[in-house]
Amino acid sequence: MVENLIFLAAPITACVLLAGILGYFGNHILSRGIIFIDIALAQIVALGTMIGLLFGFAEGSVAVQIVSLIFTLIIVIFFALTKFEKQLIPQEAIIGIIYGLGLGIATLFAEYIPRGSNYISKTITGNILWCTWDEIIYAFLLFVVIGIVHIFLGKNFIKITDANDKFPFSPQKVRIMEIIFYVTFGIVVFKAVPIAGIFLVFILLIAPTSIATIFTNKWKYRFIWSWIIGIILSVGGMLISYQLDISNGPAIVCLMGISVFILAFAKIIFGKKKVLEKVTD
Amino acid sequence: METALQIMFAPFVACLTLVGIHGYFGIHVLKREIIFIDIAMAQIAALGGTLHLLFEPDVTVEHGIVAYTQEAYLIYIFSFAFVAVAALLFTFLKSEKLHVPLEALIGITFAVATTGAVIFIDKAAGGDVHVHEMLVGSILWVKWSQILKSFVVYSLIGVFHYWFRDKFLPISEDYNKAKQQGIKVKLWDFLFYLTLGIVVMHSVRIGGILVVFAFLIIPASISVLFTKKWSTRIIIAWFCGTIVTMLGLVFSWKMDVPSGPAVILFLGVFLLLALVVKSFGVVKPGTE
Repeated sequence: MVENLIFLAAPITACVLLAGILGYFGNHILSRGIIFIDIALAQIVALGTMIGLLFGFAEGSVAVQIVSLIFTLIIVIFFALTKFEKQLIPQEAIIGIIYGLGLGIATLFAEYIPRGSNYISKTITGNILWCTWDEIIYAFLLFVVIGIVHIFLGKNFIKITDANDKFPFSPQKVRIMEIIFYVTFGIVVFKAVPIAGIFLVFILLIAPTSIATIFTNKWKYRFIWSWIIGIILSVGGMLISYQLDISNGPAIVCLMGISVFILAFAKIIFGKKKVLEKVTD
Repeated sequence: METALQIMFAPFVACLTLVGIHGYFGIHVLKREIIFIDIAMAQIAALGGTLHLLFEPDVTVEHGIVAYTQEAYLIYIFSFAFVAVAALLFTFLKSEKLHVPLEALIGITFAVATTGAVIFIDKAAGGDVHVHEMLVGSILWVKWSQILKSFVVYSLIGVFHYWFRDKFLPISEDYNKAKQQGIKVKLWDFLFYLTLGIVVMHSVRIGGILVVFAFLIIPASISVLFTKKWSTRIIIAWFCGTIVTMLGLVFSWKMDVPSGPAVILFLGVFLLLALVVKSFGVVKPGTE
């Protein structure tokens, strides 16, 4: 048992770390209804990598990563500017369009890169079992910096997320805040997907906050519960996958997903209907 | 040129049938903000197709999903059963008690279905899973029999939706208002998801998830820029879809690139053009 724990120490630490940062962002993502943003972004990261390769940089080089990051940030900033007071095309649809076009263009590019089609699906298959302590420490430092930005500006982000039809600040301020929000989120996805794979990132983002939101609509409690639920379920999934000898990523995803369904139905069947006032905390 | 026409005619007709049904469903999907439902439904159908391996272990799994694209009734039945269960799930998960957008639960379903298939295939066949194969598909190799079958299914569903348009449309417009008007929202929601699921099952076999997804979302996004009227939106969506299909297929033939991505690319270009037209105020936004 002890050697198991030593073997699983790094992946479990990585899970806790990711559950922390993604659980926080997930609450915003859920309340904004832009559920699939990380899957679209992961696709854009892959496309950016392919663009870097087309420029002639070596596979896995720093140059390719920089090209990919810059490309991702350009798309992210573009997306940040698509929020309007009167939204004709919902932002989730814009995400869908970015995803579709990104994948379509990647498929076209794949023809011109040796083993090109590998890059299209490369982001899908991260494996958290093989993450190294170096990766974890580096990611931790990065997330701390992003966390500090959000500690200072978090209240503004919450006001924008809560606003339905009317901007809470001047349009310029909203634009700047949106850009900061999505750039920091883009960097997190850029860092997290290679470690954990696209589906684990997706579920860590959406499932804990969904469970929290089923039971409370106060921001403070949603954050705290997302963290607790995210950490418990991801560590639990990791141990189950180890016991049953199934892949850990899929195990965590299924455990979290099924938990959401069970609790959602429990709430629908047993929950009392009550009028909830919108509370910002 | 003759050969080009011969080869491209079937894909062209296939695309038009896709444009026809998805141009309509896209408006619903956009209004309900359940953008990724089609990808989720396709994945659920694929999971059903994969689980049928339990009963026919001899079938080899090459792409994890290959089994699904084969013409076998057992697979169809399994996929259909899974889609029906998912339709039930989505119907009942749309509840004001939850405060969680349905799109999030659709996303979770998608993630569970995909990774569930991975776990299962890992255990059963030891194969590698390439989500990619199913995503991109190949509309170039579509068979006439497939087109005909899909066309019949789409027509039946289309007629059904037209017949009961006074049920389907108000629910997508405003769920609570429709409920107050006495429409049985749960029943019609279930039928909505079920018919959409059946459409997606057939479409994905023809065009791959991605092309289907693009046909669903982009024409509807273009039409919403100009009007709110359903009939006009459908006509705009069909018009754009048809032009884009022609351009995309010709482009793919001339430049020798895959046809699916080419069509998607042109859909993107059209959306961009529409945004330009809109922002220069050439067309006034509809007020109907």
